[in-house]
Amino acid sequence: MVGPMYDCLANPLGAIRLTFEKAVGSGCEPSAFDGKDWGALDVFREFLVDQGNLSQVPVLNSETLKWVQPNTLVRFRGMVQDMLGNEFYAGAYKDGSGWRTNKFGDDSQQPIDSSPDVRVWERRLLYCVPVPGLNTWAESEAASEATVTSMDLTSQQRDKRQRMDAESMDYEVCPGSNIVLEDSPSAKRMREDGHPSLSVQLSDLKPEGPCSSTMMRPEVGDSPSCLVKVYDTRESELKLNDIFEFVGVFTIESEPVPADDGDDIDLTTGFRNDLVHLQANKVPCLHCIVHRKLAVSDFLRSSPIIEQSKHVVMNTRESLLRHLTMLLGNDGVAANYMLLHLLSKIHARVDNVAVGKLSLNLTCLSKEALSVFGVQLCNALRNLLPFTDSIPLTVNYLNTACLGPKKDYQRNRLIGGTLQLAEGSHLTIDETQLETGTLNSVGIENARLLKDLVELQKVEYDFTYYKMEMAADVQLLVLSEGKSNILPADIVLPVRPSDVSRPEVVSAEALGAWRWYLATMRTLSHTIESEIQEVVEKDLVAARQADRRIGSKEFSSLLTMGRLMSLSFGETTLSLEHWEMVKELEKLRKERIN
Amino acid sequence: MASDSSPARFNNTPSSPDDSAFSSPIGDTISSPAAGTSRRNKRGRGRSAATPAYDTPPHPNNHPRFAGSESTPTPLHNASNSRRGHGGRPPTPSSTSEGAPSSEAGDDMDEAAPTFVWGTNISVQEVKSAIQMFLKNFRDAQSQGAEIYEDGKYMKAIHRVLEIEGEWLDVDAHDVFDYNPELYGKMVRYPLEVLAIFDIVLMDMVSQINPLFEKHVQVRIFNLKGSTTMRNLNPSDIEKMVSLKGMVIRCSAIIPEIREATFRCLVCGYFSDPIVVDRGRISEPTLCLKQECQAKNSMTLVHNRCRFADKQIVRLQETPDEIPEGGTPHTVSLLMHDKLVDAGKPGDRVEVTGIYRAMSVRLGPTQRTVKSLFKTYIDCLHIKKTDKSRMVAEDAMEIDSSTQKHDEDVEFDEAKIERLRELSKLPDIYDRLTRSLAPNIWELDDVKRGLLCQLFGGNALKLPSGASFRGDINILLVGDPGTSKSQLLQYIHKLSPRGIYTSGRGSSAVGLTAYVSRDPETKETVLESGALVLSDRGICCIDEFDKMSENARSMLHEVMEQQTVSIAKAGIIATLNARTSVLACANPIGSRYNPRLSVIDNIHLPPTLLSRFDLIYLILDKADEQTDKHLARHIVSLHFEDPELAQQDVLDIATLTAYLSYARNHINPQLSDEAAEELTRGYVEMRRRGNFPGSSKKVITATPRQIESLIRISEALARIRFSETVEKHDVTEAFRLLEVAMQQSATDHATGTIDMDLITTGVSASERMRRENLVISTRNIIMEKLQLGGPSMRLLEILEELKKQSSAFEVHLHDLRNAIATLQTEGVVAVHGDNVKRV
Repeated sequence: MVGPMYDCLANPLGAIRLTFEKAVGSGCEPSAFDGKDWGALDVFREFLVDQGNLSQVPVLNSETLKWVQPNTLVRFRGMVQDMLGNEFYAGAYKDGSGWRTNKFGDDSQQPIDSSPDVRVWERRLLYCVPVPGLNTWAESEAASEATVTSMDLTSQQRDKRQRMDAESMDYEVCPGSNIVLEDSPSAKRMREDGHPSLSVQLSDLKPEGPCSSTMMRPEVGDSPSCLVKVYDTRESELKLNDIFEFVGVFTIESEPVPADDGDDIDLTTGFRNDLVHLQANKVPCLHCIVHRKLAVSDFLRSSPIIEQSKHVVMNTRESLLRHLTMLLGNDGVAANYMLLHLLSKIHARVDNVAVGKLSLNLTCLSKEALSVFGVQLCNALRNLLPFTDSIPLTVNYLNTACLGPKKDYQRNRLIGGTLQLAEGSHLTIDETQLETGTLNSVGIENARLLKDLVELQKVEYDFTYYKMEMAADVQLLVLSEGKSNILPADIVLPVRPSDVSRPEVVSAEALGAWRWYLATMRTLSHTIESEIQEVVEKDLVAARQADRRIGSKEFSSLLTMGRLMSLSFGETTLSLEHWEMVKELEKLRKERIN
Repeated sequence: MASDSSPARFNNTPSSPDDSAFSSPIGDTISSPAAGTSRRNKRGRGRSAATPAYDTPPHPNNHPRFAGSESTPTPLHNASNSRRGHGGRPPTPSSTSEGAPSSEAGDDMDEAAPTFVWGTNISVQEVKSAIQMFLKNFRDAQSQGAEIYEDGKYMKAIHRVLEIEGEWLDVDAHDVFDYNPELYGKMVRYPLEVLAIFDIVLMDMVSQINPLFEKHVQVRIFNLKGSTTMRNLNPSDIEKMVSLKGMVIRCSAIIPEIREATFRCLVCGYFSDPIVVDRGRISEPTLCLKQECQAKNSMTLVHNRCRFADKQIVRLQETPDEIPEGGTPHTVSLLMHDKLVDAGKPGDRVEVTGIYRAMSVRLGPTQRTVKSLFKTYIDCLHIKKTDKSRMVAEDAMEIDSSTQKHDEDVEFDEAKIERLRELSKLPDIYDRLTRSLAPNIWELDDVKRGLLCQLFGGNALKLPSGASFRGDINILLVGDPGTSKSQLLQYIHKLSPRGIYTSGRGSSAVGLTAYVSRDPETKETVLESGALVLSDRGICCIDEFDKMSENARSMLHEVMEQQTVSIAKAGIIATLNARTSVLACANPIGSRYNPRLSVIDNIHLPPTLLSRFDLIYLILDKADEQTDKHLARHIVSLHFEDPELAQQDVLDIATLTAYLSYARNHINPQLSDEAAEELTRGYVEMRRRGNFPGSSKKVITATPRQIESLIRISEALARIRFSETVEKHDVTEAFRLLEVAMQQSATDHATGTIDMDLITTGVSASERMRRENLVISTRNIIMEKLQLGGPSMRLLEILEELKKQSSAFEVHLHDLRNAIATLQTEGVVAVHGDNVKRV
């Protein structure tokens, strides 16, 4: 529609205002734009999507935050952590003779109250944080380009060129920088892009407890949380704990908190308003123009490389299974279960039943064994999945940790607990360190939260006056010595490691393929043919006749496994062969238990 | 709070559209003396000489009840709707030079013959007379006709207000709507203006009735026709009257808001006239006004000569039911003035009526520049606690038998009721509801029917003599593990109007009933309610009933029959209502049901408690291939089909809840003669059943408790159909349900007949007979074998003898011991260890 007569990147507000003036100039009343767009979005959509300029938009992170200019276009990837309600603003106002707009900006600080003609519009405030448990390799794509550009910002032109360089360079570097491994989330966020290596010896890692990573969520400060202002969207579009990429105008609330004294009768003093608090912390703010929901696959870099052919899938499955087998000390059965577990995803919810979850409890892991397998396992998981987190289950931890999200009415913010996780996160709970002790009320509450998460895939959010259950989709892996009774997982499997092999060297290509495999396979749809359905039903009935202890729960996990088994082969229908494999696996598992 | 406004002022100009007549009463709403207000007006008028707009009546000063500091709304609406310069806000937007933008408005109004509020179609006179008519003539629907010569509802109310020297008059918006929908529409759309006129009219009337009445009376509107949710508040609601439900989460401290300031000259000690707050600011005089002094910057505020009004900011949060999936609760600020301060405490569920306002935010306290943002809040007019537990509790028993029209806060509009009524007419509504109850739990249809009855409940009855009969149905589910008892419980808990879910393992007696604790601050003893009291008029779900401590369980006796909890400790003797249905579930004692043991032995609950359950369901996991197949298919479909499609003709939870609460509150079925007859007949038959010819055993089949249960269940069944009478088939179904439950729970495993004794005493009639036989034969043996004072005999020897004599039934050592113990109490034998001696 309009040629690039303005720089969408450096001066997005200019573009917005221009389109607005055009729209008003063509005879439209500003009141017609209540809750609507006047064509500004098209410009940006064209600029970002059609012209493919999305990658030029700098990503907001702790590095870029230092140099990004206010009122320029930025990108931000994060999870919606809290919703701060709606905000009314003077969207359009008459300045002298002409109408002006304030949409996507905060700037109007002239005494607009003198103008009698103001349209009040509303926007939603979302508080977004970096995806919890985001692993370095998944983060790297977003961050890499920014670090390079940060050197120079005097000239917008040069800056852009630089950024382009960064882009191309970025892709060269890509295979190596994926595998930078760190142990704690906080350290993870320290970029080490400068030392790309083609492969990393897993054994080089510090022999640290696999789950000893600090549980503190990166707080505001060391990585940017962002206040996102969303315009004209339906409420159902943006949900809590969803991961989004926002593109919009960057501003920073640099205004100091308005002094309270002297203004005592003001509404602000009754309660510190939400914004006031955020302003004090100088939280970056993004006026969202375009947003896009992200799936796990969006965090993969190499997704377009691999074609989804049966052959490739089979090979990837084989190699991944080998890798997992090796990790679990040559325990093939455990590796198979682990694979299914990593592919699990909730695909339906019927009342209280979350269909599709497959939590796994690996037992027979003593503290000593864990130091060998656990470390490897945790590191491997971190390399395979984009969002992972781990909890060391000790009495002390349970008594002190803040697992469930809780509303802090003093700050008018939702304090995200450890269990506020994005969809598709993986959570490892290490129970081997648990010793006898007394739980206090916090501990009991935390244990209950964990149990609810394992059983129902729901997390209770505490709003003081009432609690709300939020659906979660978290893959749960429990490591314990005996069967965990605190966390009743779907599958309990004693591990039988036979051989402690040196961790193998993993090539970057393989890692990329595995990530792609895990991310893609779990999203496949799945059906069942009626013949197989009959076979399955007959098998289930027979199993129940044989053992009365088998109930609907066991049936469910069996069916989930069947589904995941065929998904792991890239199949979308359950075949007899895979069903038999599942039954065989279960048989082996039962033998181990008894 | 005394107001020095002379009532005469109102009287003099009752209807003249004179500025002061309008402004003073309004000006007084916040109890600032009229003197100050009018003075302010004079100033205003002095100013307004330049702007004709001020001469028009609806242009008085601030409507002080909304006069927050910056609350003068900046012009939020576009030109055509910018209603500057009429009641409720100052003529100018908050911080511009005075009057300038209003000129064209004033012109408009000067020309128009009826005075319109600027930018609206509100004619002041019209509205005024409409309000007058309403207040004078409105009568309740029921009082119409017979008492036509009596005063209208609100005239009475005004008189009452005068008598008690009240400060406000509550006006039901429904009444306004019924009387004059047009007025209602105007009131909701232009609340600031219309309420100002309302107040004036009211004050006129007050002064007519009692010219000496000094207090100012305000109108408080409540009960709007439609209420919105916090989420749906949007810019178009600004300046409209809205009604919201929510939960108070925070209350600020009470803020004394200055209304009038007095200054004193530090130099000469001259006191200035009180200066009234103007748009949230006090213009401090820079010059001493005394002619002789005229010192500059000498004026200082005299605090105790100033006038303050109470103000409080309350934060309201959405209740969980209004929050969509994947959202967090919204909050909104409320501004409370005067009497409304502290009307709600954190945790209260309230319904608020008020005016939604937006105010611009200044950059700094001293700057006139404002941000483009607005702060929004609701100027509260009326606050109503929707949680009525306390109110109901006061006259609970009386309400029980009468209809409870005002009990529920769920409001039903006509269309909804019509829909529900249509549903109730469906021939298969009973089955449909059964299906809709926990649709993902397979089978157990009869259990679900029982639970359905529990949800609907029977009629509670209070006889004039004081005896009362509970209407709540108690249900116990006993069953094998893994038969989804807990899931059923959870489901009912979610569905029931006021459910509490506890687990027996974690509950103590005090946690269930009530306990006395000492307030840490005041050292006073306070009574705190436990789960059962909290679920008054709801369902208390107790999981793991069998694992509850003995002590806790014994507390349930009173609750389940008398429906009260009595407390006598720490100086407090109290009886609390606990009209709750109990839904408990338990595992059999060996965690799996042992068919060889009696139900009592399996459940291991005291029979006294057990008999208080109307329905006891035994959910047994029978090794039935058919059921297994169903289960398998169900789960397979859960996994592989779209779950939405799998369960179609069931009611969704919202409809089900609406249906339930409507039935509970509006349907009170009575037994028809036919049904009563059937009940008697069936009961007689039940009692006779154990007595059939050929059976020598006397088995007690039913107890009077059962007939009460039957009545309750039949009433619930009639309620399910929205029927006001209990028909014969309801009774038949009730019998069937009871039998289904009893056959499972009270089957005497020795005889196969229903045996209520099993439940009431724990021993079945046949078992009792067997024991008696055993005692007799043991006595015979002892009489035969042992001489008086002769050698003793070992127990085992007696056992051998018994076995020889009676091959018909098995004799255990345990049984023998019991028999010997009986004989011992009879004084026939003496027992030393294992040796039995005849005495």
